Amino acid sequence: MLLLRPSLCCPLTSPLLTGCARTLRRASPRAELFLRRRPPSRLLARSGSRWSRGQEAEWRTKNKTVLMYVAAAGVGMIGLTYASVPLYRLYCQATGLGGAAVAGHDTDQVETMTPIKERIIKVTFNADTHATLQWNFRPQQTEIYLVPGETALAFYRAKNPTEKPIIGISTYNVVPFEAGQYFNKIQCFCFEEQRLNPHEEVDMPVFFYIDPEFDKDPRMAWVDTIILSYTFFEAKEGQNLPLPRYN
Amino acid sequence: MSTAMNFSTKSFKARPPDKGSFPLDHFGECKSFKETFMKCLKENNFDNSRCRLQSKDYLECRMEKQLMAKEPLEKLGFKDLMDPPAGPETGSKA
Repeated sequence: MLLLRPSLCCPLTSPLLTGCARTLRRASPRAELFLRRRPPSRLLARSGSRWSRGQEAEWRTKNKTVLMYVAAAGVGMIGLTYASVPLYRLYCQATGLGGAAVAGHDTDQVETMTPIKERIIKVTFNADTHATLQWNFRPQQTEIYLVPGETALAFYRAKNPTEKPIIGISTYNVVPFEAGQYFNKIQCFCFEEQRLNPHEEVDMPVFFYIDPEFDKDPRMAWVDTIILSYTFFEAKEGQNLPLPRYN
Repeated sequence: MSTAMNFSTKSFKARPPDKGSFPLDHFGECKSFKETFMKCLKENNFDNSRCRLQSKDYLECRMEKQLMAKEPLEKLGFKDLMDPPAGPETGSKA
């Protein structure tokens, strides 16, 4: 017994159905009753529109509410993306995360910190200049051995061999990167314009220390050498490098 | 190196110095102290702990010649090199 719902809108199945009907008609006249094309009663067209008007209105309101919800969700998402910038900033200020702030880095600890004498670290110095800067810039010592918690002084030398004054501005880099958060400079010559007159040579000191917390960090257990690298760029008159700070 | 745009690798974050920048010693006023310090380093195989006295002298020279803001030496980590203060005096030379 084949119970096939007649598909009124699909012309392809009708030859199949008629074919089936023909064979079954031959088989039994009773089956023919079931196979006769009879649309289910709820699809009976009244005149013109397929669905009843009440149902149409119901579906319309349903569609409208769904559309409203989707639109509200979309607007909510857009608003959230805009709000996330100040929210993240607040979160970072509250918890000190984001890589910029480091636990325990305050300038008063220089007074109270005690050097950890067992952990000797070698700090090597590197000096670079940008291709357009005509200074001779080099470190005055290749390396220094120190311990965390001890302040150290190191010197770089810069010479301006040209006939005109040149203003340079520098930045620094510490390798390995993770050790950079323990590398604290008390005073140096970076991020500010330094002017060298023609044929002038100056000593540039760097006064720094390594945070005693370095010794307690398990990730730093294998770090014995830290490379401090300074790079000088040519500064245009009155240019200000934005000081790196978490703002 | 620090500008490599790798996803989720740690990058280096440069920080400004705590007490700002040293003004340049254009006239070489503290050059002799620097030379003493460098000589000490070379002699001691670049061991910083042996040359702290010379570095303290250099910084004191800078402070005297207005090339550095005056700071009590404890704040610069030289607490161990200083004599215990006698009476109301503080910051006496070692």
